[in-house]
Amino acid sequence: MSDWHSWAAIAVFVVAYVAIISERVHRTAAALGGAAVMLTIGATDDKAAFFDERSGIDWNVIFLLLGMMAIVGVLRQTGLFEYLAIWAVKRAHGKPFRVMTMLIVITATASALLDNVTTVLLVAPVTLLVCERLALPAAPFLIAEVMASNIGGTATLVGDPPNIIIASRGGLTFNDFLVHLAPIAVLLTAVLVLLCRVMFRKALVYDEDRATEVMALEEREAIRDHRLLYQGLAVLALVVVGFVAHPVLHYAPSVVALLGAGLLIAVSKVETGEALKEVEWPTLAFFAGLFIMVGSLIETGVIGEISRALADATGGSELGAVMLLLFGSAVLSGVVDNIPYVATMAPITADLAHGFGGGDGVHVLWWALALGADLGGNATAIGASANVVVLGIAERNRQPISFWQFTRYGLIVTAVTVVLSAGYLWLRYFALS
Amino acid sequence: MRARDLAVEYESVRVDDDALEAARLMAEHQLPGLLVLDRNGEPKAILPASQVIKALVPGYVIEDPALAAVIDEKHADRLCEALRGRRVGDLLSDKAARPPIADPDDTALEVAALMAQARSPLVAVARRDKAGLYLLGVITASQLLHRLLGYAEPHE
Repeated sequence: MSDWHSWAAIAVFVVAYVAIISERVHRTAAALGGAAVMLTIGATDDKAAFFDERSGIDWNVIFLLLGMMAIVGVLRQTGLFEYLAIWAVKRAHGKPFRVMTMLIVITATASALLDNVTTVLLVAPVTLLVCERLALPAAPFLIAEVMASNIGGTATLVGDPPNIIIASRGGLTFNDFLVHLAPIAVLLTAVLVLLCRVMFRKALVYDEDRATEVMALEEREAIRDHRLLYQGLAVLALVVVGFVAHPVLHYAPSVVALLGAGLLIAVSKVETGEALKEVEWPTLAFFAGLFIMVGSLIETGVIGEISRALADATGGSELGAVMLLLFGSAVLSGVVDNIPYVATMAPITADLAHGFGGGDGVHVLWWALALGADLGGNATAIGASANVVVLGIAERNRQPISFWQFTRYGLIVTAVTVVLSAGYLWLRYFALS
Repeated sequence: MRARDLAVEYESVRVDDDALEAARLMAEHQLPGLLVLDRNGEPKAILPASQVIKALVPGYVIEDPALAAVIDEKHADRLCEALRGRRVGDLLSDKAARPPIADPDDTALEVAALMAQARSPLVAVARRDKAGLYLLGVITASQLLHRLLGYAEPHE
């Protein structure tokens, strides 16, 4: 790694990364700008950037995101999530802890199938309405939900963008995530419920008169288009079946998502342009720029050097590497966006997994990276995009949540969930294997 | 026809006035908006009726319009409570620009252009001197339209 290309690539990467973290420049502009400079200085080229499976744009990730965004965009219009949330709150009879538990479970479950930002955008307004009726502060409920979203997203391949990158780079299937990460995600959701009971005990005050106000809400009115709801649910079920049936059908998740989006547009009255409007094009461009930047580090041999250095640092201990990756990822994801972090760490993790004789496919290092990056997002108010979105909604509704108010609970939840994850990884992949 | 001839007395409120009273004033006189004066009595902004309506709608409904349907009638009728304890200044948008102000000598077309440019239902007419602005009155969109149509040739 002595040629000037390597050092120039590192310099460009660091500058772009700082620009993304500082948010002084739009993250898409920073990533695309970095990619443009990498191509200009010859750290990578068009063949590698656009067509190389190892160091180019990961089209599986881009098209999986595109397909899921289009499906979710249509589902959002149905009012399903508002219906479910109010129905659950009414089943809880307005009792604050039961309401919080219901909202945590709904958010975590929805986050396993939808991206976290979409989930909290749907659940937060309902929460504000319910808290207003119950005369309760909304902040504890919103904080609990965003944490449930980050934990629930860990469970599946499509639950959180870092998981999509990990799946594609590690050659992991939807079922791999269900088998290896879903059990711990369920356990951590249950632990979150208990933690919330303790952390927010003073805010969870029951008022019988107020509870009757919640029972007056008419959840059925939230469903705006019954036909579209059934069509959307049917397509979503087919998409999940397509993901799970990968060993039989051999369709990549990106193909399943695109087929699902196409089918939903074909059978419903939703116009193609309308469905595509829901796609976050800047996010997809951000991913493309990021892949080219990381690909440049691979092409110039920088990633290989870092992988060797990390392997040396762990002294050949697989457990040491797993714990370093888990805790290191959790700490870093608390302060930087976990998407660029995972995009950078994925090729390093692949090298490390190969070094430990893992080859392509399931390896405990991938689960350490996923758990660390996804759960670390809960640590601070800026640890994950969903956190930032919820803080914005709370402020607009005159229920502001300060950075430290969030972070003091976030640090507790992150510490507990990451330590439990470390125990899970050790027990399942070392002690019992 | 000059702006001074078109200007009429118009209801105005101050930034520190009670928001609920301002809304009542608007409703009773069926006004498209109110002229808001600052603490020195100078025009500060136009408060359109639509902005007051927006303040009545809970923030979570603005975030997710589907929730409007789930709120029962009894609660929908109590939306005005959202204005209780708030000041007129609280209702003004952060982006609220100073109201369009016409010179007393401006022509009707100049007033119309000012109104169109500012997309405002009201234009204040004020004389400016060394002491500051002296408000002469206000021209409303409907009043200006009425005056302009009055001069138009009817169709055969």
